[in-house]
Amino acid sequence: MTDATATDVSRHDRQGRRATLSRHVLPYAMLSPAVLVTLAIVFFPMVQTAWMSLHDYVLFRPNDFDWVGLENFRTALSDEVFWISLRNTIIWMGTTIPAQLLLGLVTALLLNQEFPWRPVARALIIIPWALPSVVIALMWVWIYDSNYGVANEFLLRMGLIQQSIPWLADPDYALASIILTLTWQGFPFFAVMILAGLQAIPRSYYEAASIDGASAWRQFWHITLPGIAGVMMTAVLLRLIWVANSFDVIFVMTGGGPGYATHTLPLYAFIKARTNLDFGYGSAIAVLFTMLLMVVVVFYLRRTGKAVS
Amino acid sequence: MKLNRITALASVLALTAGAASAESTVRFWYHFDNADNPMNDLVAAFEEQNPDITVEAENIPWNSYYDQLYTAVIGGNAPDAAMVKMFAQPRLVEMGALQPIDDWLVEWDGADGLQDNLLELTAGPDGSQYYLPVQYVVLYLYYRPSMFEELGLEVPTTCDEFREVANALTRDTDGDGQTDTYGFGFRGAQGGHDHWASFTLGAEGVSLTDGLTSEAGVAGTQFVADLFQEDGVFPPSAPNDGFQEIIGAFKAGKTAMTIHHIGSANGMVEALGEDVNAAPVPECNGGRWTAFGDESTAVMANAEDPEAAWKWISFLSSEGNNTMFNEATGQLPVVKADSDGWSLHPQRFVQATVDSLPFAEMLPSSNATADFVNTVWPTQMQRVLTGDIEAAEMNEAIAEIFAE
Repeated sequence: MTDATATDVSRHDRQGRRATLSRHVLPYAMLSPAVLVTLAIVFFPMVQTAWMSLHDYVLFRPNDFDWVGLENFRTALSDEVFWISLRNTIIWMGTTIPAQLLLGLVTALLLNQEFPWRPVARALIIIPWALPSVVIALMWVWIYDSNYGVANEFLLRMGLIQQSIPWLADPDYALASIILTLTWQGFPFFAVMILAGLQAIPRSYYEAASIDGASAWRQFWHITLPGIAGVMMTAVLLRLIWVANSFDVIFVMTGGGPGYATHTLPLYAFIKARTNLDFGYGSAIAVLFTMLLMVVVVFYLRRTGKAVS
Repeated sequence: MKLNRITALASVLALTAGAASAESTVRFWYHFDNADNPMNDLVAAFEEQNPDITVEAENIPWNSYYDQLYTAVIGGNAPDAAMVKMFAQPRLVEMGALQPIDDWLVEWDGADGLQDNLLELTAGPDGSQYYLPVQYVVLYLYYRPSMFEELGLEVPTTCDEFREVANALTRDTDGDGQTDTYGFGFRGAQGGHDHWASFTLGAEGVSLTDGLTSEAGVAGTQFVADLFQEDGVFPPSAPNDGFQEIIGAFKAGKTAMTIHHIGSANGMVEALGEDVNAAPVPECNGGRWTAFGDESTAVMANAEDPEAAWKWISFLSSEGNNTMFNEATGQLPVVKADSDGWSLHPQRFVQATVDSLPFAEMLPSSNATADFVNTVWPTQMQRVLTGDIEAAEMNEAIAEIFAE
């Protein structure tokens, strides 16, 4: 081996090592800013919340930060309002998300058909989703208003009710009224996601099924539904997390009232922490809710993992 | 040479420091319902008099005013001065968020010009003065004279008369089977404690801190519940109704009476002309109670230039400026000279305010008051109105937070 050849080999080695090193290091270097930001703005507050939940921390006594262990959690579990809020949260999530899914599915199937002005209809359907939550909440407060609201006016004129109903002031209707508002707000998300899924199903499947004599229902059941199952599951999971964490619409529409009729756990945690300034107890409620949500999410991920495989 | 250079550098630093202290900025938080408020004019007038001070006045929405203030105090980002109410004082003092103003008050010419007794009323829980009054109101009963005349009714002076009148005024005026007018617009949402208190706290020996769970105390809450559940004299939306709803319904003729202060008077006259009048709240269970609505300003403990912040708040409570301030809020000036020539409200509303002053009271100076106002009262009242709990349970819940 000549000196020139030896030098070439060692240069190649160095280049190869450098390339290997950069392949190992570069992804971490590129990812680290995002990871650091996430750690700072997501994980640090989460740890801080968990830490505060173990203390008696009332904001207007900022110098008192006494360790109380699990006392806040014990208080929460014996707190009537916690259980009312949990019940409302289950009803709220258990009805809002399926209702949004169903309405979104029907809308997506309709929007997937050929009809004039279809692009306009597809654009219009996104409006509820695009509007800010506060605007939606204020708009629906007026719709439900017992004196001037169009909901009562419409139902009275149709003869479906004899007296105006105070939709948001009656505990029997308040939560259902908010669920209807949230369903209206959230169904476009499902519609758009499912529509994207529908467009990914090859038309040849339907043609083949038609030749074999499959009815529309069987085509839906055996081609459409399996084709959009993955999209639907992802959308449901995302919505589950979003709906669980959102309380803005409820806060603006009723503030959790009348009484505790529309209190949900995120709202209760917010009121305790922000209005009553009891950050220790508010954090404990938030931590309990996060744990409950984690159970649902893990269970759901396992189910969807199995279903997809 | 070196010494010269150091001297020159020191001079530059001194000049810079001098310039910095001469150019102060006062961050001021306030809450006005009135969208076309004249705060800009007040700021301009102040800055003309004090060219070395810049005022950054920020209108914070009322619904979240105290949430934001407390959070800003804890976060170390509180304003230099702020509008504040008495119920918040114990909490703010406990947080160490306020700067005492006693020394400035001694030297201030305007102190003698304030309405009698206002500084005593707003004294801090530890004896120091933190608050400088800037406006006040007293709550009274608004009513629609035309509706009373049509039915030959007199303005109620007792709770029994009130109930009778409210029942008569609740009626279907066009015969379609729907109630068109309700006797009273009750505020069941946050801020409605003043309505409830007028029916409850007038009784002998009943206050928020004492006797609330007695028979007389519970009878007051039960009276409110009966008006809604049995008599139906409040609109069905009453449990959720806030300020906008009760004032809107009164102006629209949906309710014949409601309770509020002079701050709403001009808006009501604009909507109803002469067909709106005012009277003191009725006597209930042998006594009368109405709310003294206070508003002060304070220098915050973290103020960068407390002297400049004091100059600004004392400017707002000075003759002439206090009139401008109250033009925006529609409330009453705290400066005697400004009150004497007061012509911004029709006389009948000023008279109702003056007539109500002898029995007007403030909420207790207690840490529990903020929770009572913000969460405990609205939640418990709504539960009583919707039949979820009994009147006695509500009074017990309120008594409990004041006992802690």
